[in-house]
Amino acid sequence: MQLRDSRQPWKDGMAKNITFIVTKDCQLACKYCYLVGKNSKEQMSFEIAKQAIDYILSHEEDFKEESVVWDFIGGEPFLEIDLIDKICDYLKIEMFRRDHHWFDSYRFSFSTNGINYHTDKVQQFIEKNKEHLSIGITIDGTREKHDLNRIYKKNEDGKERGSYDDVVRNIPMWLKQFPHVGTKVTISSEDIPYIKESVLHLFSLGIHEVNINCVFEDVWKNGDDKLFENQLLELADAIIDNELYKENVCSFYSELIGKPLDPKRDNQNWCGAGMMLSVDAAGNFYPCTRFASYSLRNKKPIIIGNVYRGIDKNLLRPFLTLDRITQSPQKCLDCEVASGCAWCQGENYDAAKTNTIYERSTAICLMHKARVRANNYYWNKLYRKLELEGEREEFEKNKKEVKQEIC
Amino acid sequence: MLQYIIILLDDTATSFCHYSIPHHRASKLIDLDDLKNGIRFAMIENLMIQFVYPNYELPTRHIEAINSIDHIDIKPYIGEREDNSDVIVFNKIPSNLLKDKYPTTIFRLTPQEFFDFPYYLAKETFKKVERLNIVIKDIDPIQAWDLNRYNDKLKEMSDWIEQEYCNGNTPQWNILTDRMFLSKMNNCGAGDTTITLAPNGKFYICPAFYYENMDDSIGNVNAGLDIKNQYLYKLEYAPICRHCDAYQCKRCLWLNRRMTLEVNTPSHEQCVAAHLERNTSRSLLINIRKHGNFIPEVDNIKEIDYLDPFINREKWQQENL
Repeated sequence: MQLRDSRQPWKDGMAKNITFIVTKDCQLACKYCYLVGKNSKEQMSFEIAKQAIDYILSHEEDFKEESVVWDFIGGEPFLEIDLIDKICDYLKIEMFRRDHHWFDSYRFSFSTNGINYHTDKVQQFIEKNKEHLSIGITIDGTREKHDLNRIYKKNEDGKERGSYDDVVRNIPMWLKQFPHVGTKVTISSEDIPYIKESVLHLFSLGIHEVNINCVFEDVWKNGDDKLFENQLLELADAIIDNELYKENVCSFYSELIGKPLDPKRDNQNWCGAGMMLSVDAAGNFYPCTRFASYSLRNKKPIIIGNVYRGIDKNLLRPFLTLDRITQSPQKCLDCEVASGCAWCQGENYDAAKTNTIYERSTAICLMHKARVRANNYYWNKLYRKLELEGEREEFEKNKKEVKQEIC
Repeated sequence: MLQYIIILLDDTATSFCHYSIPHHRASKLIDLDDLKNGIRFAMIENLMIQFVYPNYELPTRHIEAINSIDHIDIKPYIGEREDNSDVIVFNKIPSNLLKDKYPTTIFRLTPQEFFDFPYYLAKETFKKVERLNIVIKDIDPIQAWDLNRYNDKLKEMSDWIEQEYCNGNTPQWNILTDRMFLSKMNNCGAGDTTITLAPNGKFYICPAFYYENMDDSIGNVNAGLDIKNQYLYKLEYAPICRHCDAYQCKRCLWLNRRMTLEVNTPSHEQCVAAHLERNTSRSLLINIRKHGNFIPEVDNIKEIDYLDPFINREKWQQENL
């Protein structure tokens, strides 16, 4: 079976994203994982999911977006495929029974480590819901790069074991079912030397869209920005010299980044926290999963309600009125390459000096500037080549802009 | 820019605002050295001091220290006239008509006490006070505050104020008359223009922050101030308030934090209450002007169709495009 194109985010900007944290368990113990509180004890019950759904669908006036993405995350969501199947059945029945405006304008979305993708239960679920499905498998690149971070939880022998082989075997099946799908790659300090070969490896596997971003946490060492820039320059050469740009896109390179921002015209918030909704196994609502306790190192969770009492709208007000200027330090407002410099509201909160979401973390600053320099190189080189070959006009007509995904 | 410092002289110093002193809090007088250091700090930083008193007589040395500097006194009403107090605080409606004339007077009332506030007492009160500030206390949960009744009471009081102004009297009542005279925000200023020195010798954003969590200090009299993320206490960094023209609003950062978890974001209920006051002031100003020329230098308060500016957030974004 071949499923629909998912190159562009479905109903981009018009869909409500509602996340069920179905489990905090995962087969893996990725070294860069921001989920500091993963455990095998907190699985969502169907009753909690049902109450969350009942609350959300019975408050249609508070959820006016024209579409909805029902998102399932973990830990590893496919560890709870039976529960997910039951939740999705209930959602479909209830949206139909209530004649809800989201009926037939919904999608089920998953980010998975891919290990269980081939199992009968997961495949049956995919077949059953194939018209309303987005699935992303995370693979970080070459075996060496992937297994550097994406390792199994330690066994009794204490040895590290990478997950590459168990993921990559499922990639052909995934690409057959979702031929235009992209993958998400996360870069931490230790990953920098492997960026070029990893992206090229993913292209060679048939994954034509690689969405890649640096972690927002303050993990960077002196000199990382230069190493990062060099990797991106080498990757740019490889993509252009081998004409890989014709079939592939890598989100590192975007013509939208690296420009100054107008304080008024470009004042919108980057992150969508608060416009999304997450619910955990206890039935608590969060403005985004990143504000749940298992995602936070230093701060208390921000719980905006629960399935019993509903949402406290006062607690959403700070999220819905956030803008770029109010939370950014002066150096960001004055920055001449500010566009495309992202932030995560959850990390901002976790790293802030006080309990606020209004203090922007700038740990990523040097990495963004390095990316901008490499990005300038990429487009200058690519356009010169295309001009010399008389292909620029055709390229510009057909080029695809990858959405900057940050989490 | 800092301009004021509030010095709580005792842990039982009267509240003059929304917060209440925890019932279990015992008397603890500020250490004399801390008091002197606080005064010295204020002198160096050029801050006006507001001393807040408990309901007992202070030791002589403390009084001597207090009188060593120009200041404002805020004292609780204890049944007899406080000759030297600038501000008197009543923590409930006085059972009898006030006997003496008072300067600025604060009535701290529960929502119910405010709703029950008798018309005749207001009338008599203004014969004795130059200015009356009503502060609603115990508004927890604030959602339970009946804003329709609040609006009705404001209108009732407004009718009487109108008559007073027509008779040539000019009673000042914070929630009804302040907005008529304002052309920009006139908020509490905690953390921005005002800080508080508590009896433990530490600085706080305001007294409410001290009573809620003593670990929430912003420095001490010896080491000086250390206000983290101070910009968040400024109006320009309050996305809702900076667009608002309910200029009389206290913009209580403590209530903000309690209700929305952010000091710079007011709750829906605070915004509605402030706008009910604003709109009543607007009507009052229009009505007074029907009787003659009144503060001609001040513009009319414009008519608006919302009670919570939060609903305009998308329009603010559009205006910037």
